[in-house]
Amino acid sequence: MHEPSGPASPPSPPNNDKWIGRSHERVGGRDRVTGAQHFIADIHLDHVLHVKLVHLPIAHARIVSIDATAALAVEGVRIVFTAADLPQPVPRYGPAFADRPVLAVGETKFFGEPVAAVAAETEDAAEEAARLVRVEYEALPAVITVTQALDPSLPLVQDPSLRPTHPLKDTNRFQEWTFGWGDVANAKADLVIEHDYEFPMVTHFAIEPHVFMAAPDENGVTIWSPIQHPFVLQRVVAASLNWPLSKVRIIAPDSGGGFGGKGWPKFEPLVAYLALRLGRPVRLVLTLEETFQQVRRTSATVRARTGFTRDGLIAFQDLETNFLLGAYADIGVRVVSKASYAACGPYKTPNARVLARALLSHTTPTTAFRGFGTPQASWAVESQMTEAARLLGIDPVEIRLRNVPAKGEAFIPNDTPSDGDWRQAIQRAAQALDWGKPLGPNRGRGISLGLKSSSTASASLAIVRLHYDGSVSVLSGTSDMGQGARTVLSQIAARELGIELDRVAIVMGDTSVVPYDSSTSASRSTVFMGNAVIKACADVKAKLRGLAAKAFRVAEDDVEVIPGLVRIPGKEVTYLETLKAAYGPPRGEVIGIGEERGGGYRPEHPLGGSPEFWEFMCTAAEVRLDPEVGMVEITRLVLASDIGKALNPLQVEAQDEGAAVMGLGHSLMEHLILDEQGRILNLGALDYRIPTTQDVPLELQSILIENQDGPGPYGAKGAGEGGILAIAAAVGAAINQAAGTEIRELPLTPERIWRAIRDRVTSPK
Amino acid sequence: MKPPAVPLTLEVNGRTETLEVQPHHTLLEVLRDQMHLTGTKECCSCGECGACTVLLNGRAICSCLMLAAEADGDTVTTIEGLAVDGRLDPLQEAFVAKGAVQCGFCIPGMVMSAKYLLLTNPQPTEADIKEALVGNLCRCGGYLRIFEAVHAAVGKK
Amino acid sequence: MAFSYLRPRSIDEVVSVLAEHGPNARLLAGGTDLLVRLRSGHTKPAVVVDLKRVAGLTSDVTEADGAIRIGARAVMTDLIADERIGRNYPALVEAARVVGSVQIRNRATLAGNVCNASPAADTAPALLAYGATVNLVGPTGKRHVALEDFFTGPGRTVLDRGELVESIDIRKPNGPTGGAFGRVTRRWGVDLATINLAIVVTSAGEARCAFGAVAPRPVLVVDASGVLSTRSADPAARRAAWTRLLASTSPITDVRGGRDYRQAMLEVVSERTWNVAMDRLDASRKKDVRA
Repeated sequence: MHEPSGPASPPSPPNNDKWIGRSHERVGGRDRVTGAQHFIADIHLDHVLHVKLVHLPIAHARIVSIDATAALAVEGVRIVFTAADLPQPVPRYGPAFADRPVLAVGETKFFGEPVAAVAAETEDAAEEAARLVRVEYEALPAVITVTQALDPSLPLVQDPSLRPTHPLKDTNRFQEWTFGWGDVANAKADLVIEHDYEFPMVTHFAIEPHVFMAAPDENGVTIWSPIQHPFVLQRVVAASLNWPLSKVRIIAPDSGGGFGGKGWPKFEPLVAYLALRLGRPVRLVLTLEETFQQVRRTSATVRARTGFTRDGLIAFQDLETNFLLGAYADIGVRVVSKASYAACGPYKTPNARVLARALLSHTTPTTAFRGFGTPQASWAVESQMTEAARLLGIDPVEIRLRNVPAKGEAFIPNDTPSDGDWRQAIQRAAQALDWGKPLGPNRGRGISLGLKSSSTASASLAIVRLHYDGSVSVLSGTSDMGQGARTVLSQIAARELGIELDRVAIVMGDTSVVPYDSSTSASRSTVFMGNAVIKACADVKAKLRGLAAKAFRVAEDDVEVIPGLVRIPGKEVTYLETLKAAYGPPRGEVIGIGEERGGGYRPEHPLGGSPEFWEFMCTAAEVRLDPEVGMVEITRLVLASDIGKALNPLQVEAQDEGAAVMGLGHSLMEHLILDEQGRILNLGALDYRIPTTQDVPLELQSILIENQDGPGPYGAKGAGEGGILAIAAAVGAAINQAAGTEIRELPLTPERIWRAIRDRVTSPK
Repeated sequence: MKPPAVPLTLEVNGRTETLEVQPHHTLLEVLRDQMHLTGTKECCSCGECGACTVLLNGRAICSCLMLAAEADGDTVTTIEGLAVDGRLDPLQEAFVAKGAVQCGFCIPGMVMSAKYLLLTNPQPTEADIKEALVGNLCRCGGYLRIFEAVHAAVGKK
Repeated sequence: MAFSYLRPRSIDEVVSVLAEHGPNARLLAGGTDLLVRLRSGHTKPAVVVDLKRVAGLTSDVTEADGAIRIGARAVMTDLIADERIGRNYPALVEAARVVGSVQIRNRATLAGNVCNASPAADTAPALLAYGATVNLVGPTGKRHVALEDFFTGPGRTVLDRGELVESIDIRKPNGPTGGAFGRVTRRWGVDLATINLAIVVTSAGEARCAFGAVAPRPVLVVDASGVLSTRSADPAARRAAWTRLLASTSPITDVRGGRDYRQAMLEVVSERTWNVAMDRLDASRKKDVRA
């Protein structure tokens, strides 16, 4: 049985709290609007060598020879680095499985996998030389779809010797899982719906392309990367170098957008090897096109079969989730297990079976992408709920209300129960969209529920330094990629220690300075790192208590430390006065440490631990369709997120809305188009279209449900991914209603909608 | 044989700069790498994302689509040149106040495009704002707050 | 990517550089197409010739020889702001408004857009429908080419070695006209056209229709029967006229759209655009009557 974990949340701040629940100005906002913020590409290293990659114009090829003669003749070129220059056998790395070679060995496995790296004194020289590297190669057939990956007659993407004892080593099935409970085979239902749903290949397209730097330093090596998870990167680079952690320093400047695409190691091991080989700093800047080639979401075909009673209650859910990884596991394998485990959604399902597959292909290695598999699963499951509602004559809002568990009710047996009043979110969203009102012609409405597991089995440490003058530094391994982590942690520290926000400094992004944190992912940081900061502040206050007792010669029991003040018999003193009294002219500081591990690691759990909390979002959409052309306008969008407590409401809303706008991308316009050779045809901004100012909903409303029922600070849960979890299903339902269609393949482009109207058939089946 | 460098004199953020540039280097590259004005960002390098937007002779343009050599005799304003004597432009204040800044990478280009809008159309409608900024991509999806920020800056000095 | 950069001061200088280098020289006006090609390696010139200091190439919009003359250096923003162009050629303004974003429009020249000769160029259908002439200057002097003869294929024009565009003339209408522009894209924001078209109807009974992104070059077809310049024509006759006009298009399937979708969109958008053109013709007639 799952128990609520972590410390008891500190009591809720009163309504007139200066810090919590207030939309304080973003820390780092001023630097960003003046251009002063240094993103990684803005960081100058002296004596740096510029690196450019050499890759092939197809996905899967046997490398016959690499001729660097002409490249080496370019003035300023220092090396043309290939797999032959690495330790043999070539080191392999990866966060979940060490399958990816530092440079392609023998074969390229995806379009954009580098076969060589050129380092030169100038970018121009490196570019010119990279063009002159002659690679002789033999094109090999490419496996690029789910169907092909399941076909045993087609080539293997990975050599079986990489995982010699794995039962699936002679297939392109990297991993398979079966989750479930009850007895699906014998479950009775009045209505059974079965269809396949397609979720396309999409790429993150953060506005900041990837940049990596490395330099030898006095301890070993320093890597600069806009990495979301510095400590993951540290262990992966250390492992690839076969070095101890203490010799690898990661500096992670705030990134220009991560969304998962900067979560997991890409070319850091390569630049580390280059820097050590050359004895100089190196800098690799990827173009936007190269960035597209390196990261994408795990695409999926989901076969969903759901049984309902005539009252719309779910009798069973039977899902087959086929996720297409790329050529290497990266963290895509985890996307599959985590999302599939909870793929049935926020519903009371008496019988469930989920067969999940992580399939290899000769495509871009898939990695984390906001939502982490839930958008792919919810597209199927929520579409089934909407279809059932239509066939049973039940309102789509009502059918969800009937199936959603009550707060505290388990829905995945023996796991974290529903931890929010989800009915409230649904009702408020429906009301905000005027759900019952009549619709005009060519208009439609849709509603969907998105549910994502937060992190399981992770750890966050925080250090809080109370300086001699009463100001504070918070050292945290969380990364701020735009979600506002710096701001929220400042607010927490300011509140717990009772000081002004502008006297709090947040230090992040340097593993030689900040303590360990698992990751900035799974919407976990407010909860985990927030709690760690609260505990660190509590530690500071405990130590102040001891210092005050000694300095003012009273019993510790007679000392009370509250935010901003120390109470001793007869008076109140400030922290500053206490420090002065305790330390005198030699000065000093008080250091507090806090650690949050949540429910902890549970090896028997399929995910390694229970979800600490659920991220729940109800999305409701209204659209207007031009059926002759297929163009869609999102006239209204409502988001109702169950977040426990909004520590900074403006930031939470911005995250929810931003995630929704991003989700309109895969819903309406984004898809990577590959040819049979696995080449991406719409590489770059010209033909890969993401939402612009003209593509936003005409009206967007964010509702924050705050029942203070989360395990995080002041009852907070995490947020940041909710808006993208199920928006496709809400928008898709609205479009299908307006068009009279049942389209099951994303994105819902004008042409796809037009075609479905013309054909009045469903696709795929 | 390497083509000859091109001499260039231009005004950047109120200062006259004289330098030599490689013919094939874009204005964006020269601003960032030679003049060390890294506020203007590089993303798509093909004029689609707007991250590199600057004002050239008072007009918003993509600096990635211009050879630096073309800018001889021109006046350029980058994001670094917007604040006057350390005082933020009302747009900059509004962007922060309205929560329009998330990761911040699109922001310099976005602010420059918004600046151009307000210089040419001091009382823009929402439709005007959307069209003026359509060439500036924000993947954090902060468009709605960006619109609010521009509205808030209207009429302020 | 090593090329020399030249900044000539006169047309003669440009002509002689072009004559010397031929296809190894590239003209640079707004740069919104050229710089993309330079970066991708699509174009590898030895010399890039900047036209922006050339006396004799202006961004002016003037009236000359019964036409409105648009200087080679006029950018989309200039066209949109020009009152005469807005009054006489609304379809061209509509087209110019959707060329890229504000940043692109502040640099992209009409002449450059025309010389680039993309089959999907948004300004081409409007120019064709209104009746445009390209004024060239080269080693053998000046010549004038009707726009419908100027494009020869995707990215190809009749420009000879050493020639460049000095200006573009658009015929002034000699009677009430109504013109409109329409297109289909994949999203509401900046996009290349899946199809685009412009229709100009005149009270003299002509319907001039130009289609883009549906053939190797923008296509102009004219219906002089009168059937498409009145709302009271027999519907069957009108359908027949459209069928005949659209038969000159040959859409293909590419990353932007499928052939059948393009074919269907041609019909749908032609009808919608025609309706707008007819509304403008009616308004133009009223103004004419009052004048």
